[in-house]
Amino acid sequence: MIQTIVQKLTGRGSTLRAAEHRFIIIALVPTILFYLIVKFYPIFFAFFISLHEWSLFGNVSPFVGLDNYALLAKDSLFYKVMWNTMYRTFAGTFLGALFALIVALILNPIKRGSILLRLIYFLPVMTSVIASATIWKWMLQTRFGLLNQLLLMLGIPPVPWLQSTTWAMPSVIVMGIWAGLGFTVIIYLAGLRGIPRDYYESAEIDGANSLQLALKITLPLLKPVVSFVLITGVIGGFSGGFQAIYMMTGGGPLDSTRVLALHIYDYAFERLFMGQAASMSFVLFAIVLVLTLVQFKLQRIDWEL
Amino acid sequence: MANQDFVGVPSQVDTQALRRGATEIRRLSRGTLFNYIILGAGAILMVVPFIWMVSTSFKPQAETVSFPPRLFPINPTISNYIDVFDRANMGRLYWNTTFVSVIKTIFNIYTSALLGYIFGKFVFRGRDIIFYILLSTWIIPFEVYLIPLYLMTVQVGWANTYTALIVPEIFTVYAMFMFRQFMYTIPTELVDAARIDGAGEWYIFHRIIIPLSKAALFTLIAFYFMWNWNDFLWPLVVIADQDKYVITVGLATFVGEYWSQYGVIMAGASLAIIPILALFIAVQRFIIEGVVLTGLKG
Repeated sequence: MIQTIVQKLTGRGSTLRAAEHRFIIIALVPTILFYLIVKFYPIFFAFFISLHEWSLFGNVSPFVGLDNYALLAKDSLFYKVMWNTMYRTFAGTFLGALFALIVALILNPIKRGSILLRLIYFLPVMTSVIASATIWKWMLQTRFGLLNQLLLMLGIPPVPWLQSTTWAMPSVIVMGIWAGLGFTVIIYLAGLRGIPRDYYESAEIDGANSLQLALKITLPLLKPVVSFVLITGVIGGFSGGFQAIYMMTGGGPLDSTRVLALHIYDYAFERLFMGQAASMSFVLFAIVLVLTLVQFKLQRIDWEL
Repeated sequence: MANQDFVGVPSQVDTQALRRGATEIRRLSRGTLFNYIILGAGAILMVVPFIWMVSTSFKPQAETVSFPPRLFPINPTISNYIDVFDRANMGRLYWNTTFVSVIKTIFNIYTSALLGYIFGKFVFRGRDIIFYILLSTWIIPFEVYLIPLYLMTVQVGWANTYTALIVPEIFTVYAMFMFRQFMYTIPTELVDAARIDGAGEWYIFHRIIIPLSKAALFTLIAFYFMWNWNDFLWPLVVIADQDKYVITVGLATFVGEYWSQYGVIMAGASLAIIPILALFIAVQRFIIEGVVLTGLKG
């Protein structure tokens, strides 16, 4: 009985037994239900919320059409938030990718101590960002923080790192690079391992020096990995930064470190403008979607080369 | 759940590289020393925050704000740690976080192994379409889900419960994808042979597939436990009751209340970091080896 139903459903009854079908169905039905309820329905619900003036406590949530989106387009704070998000994303991604590349290129040929070095560079990746941001906030404290005390010993006057509109964002970016560097290094090392050793050996026989090896062999062959790191870094950057900024500056001073993820949280759960916050999350969704499609295109091109 | 993008299962041992390494004559060029100096300086920058955290956490308040900075406290004290346990209810935070992380990790890994097995080892109509539709949810930022999931949680009466922390994240796309990749390395003949011997499908999954997936299992368990332990935004939004806080939310609240008592704050940060770093160092072989470029192979 089951077998005939399943055969009709799958059209491949001859290769699978009824027991296998039952196994697949028992596993897949709850999965699909879960995804419908927890992963797909909320997206439509979020869009529905974004069309309302939704607040948590008032029972009245009037329908306002696309007004929330129109408000964003006129909101100078939102433009500032988008600028901050892009500043943090691009500066953090490109500098992080560059430093990680340098570390990986030097670390790759090393044998003695390489496991210990990889472990050390990887430590911040494993650490809770809430905890490491707390340490950075302490190290960057204006009067008693380690950095300013060391600068003072060199005769340099203290800089209010996290209280200055100029320095707060660079500080947050440097902390982010520190936290993510080890991860990128490991990705580069995996990419470097994929380059055949023979290329280097034959180039060395031809008398190439190590700089030439790096520029003529390693970097061109590593190009797909670099572009992968950059694009995924930019995609992640647009929705990232919440924990570090929440702990270190709270978005200040004067909104100079207010990024999109923090702004959405703040509007939804501190100011309780859920409709407005939902519309921002859709702007974020659109950006990420476009960048992901770009990534798919680029990766294909890179691999055809 | 950021940064889930590129962690993979351990690749097989590169025997060729081992042989090369064994036969290769170690050459010490001028460049090598220079390389070690650069990497060493970088490594120091990486660990300074941790060292300074530990150093501060053993200092009495007066020493934390004294100039010039000292690495070793003059009068080391553990009173900061005692204070954290008293004031931040650290024991409770540890228990809550461990409880939630263990349950979430078990669900994450079990469901992902099962689905990875089904998508990787069975042929049925619609398999690839279903798989890619599930996989596509990977790219959606959590911020999109934050508001609707919160409202749904309130509606079903789960606000302020661990159910709300655990249930929305039972299934996870990333581990499912990794397990599916891993299943390709398990020979189909093995499964077929077990079937001929009369083994049931669940028996095959539990007694043959799971033991064979040990390498993938350990890496993913370590990563998911760590991610679940360090999770912040969703617990921050869903849990209101201080007794139910997880460690990240507890630490954030504690820092907000006691900022300027730097020794106590750093003791709190140490206590939040140390268990997970100890676990990481214990299993680091699996983890670092496990990070491979799956994204590029697709």
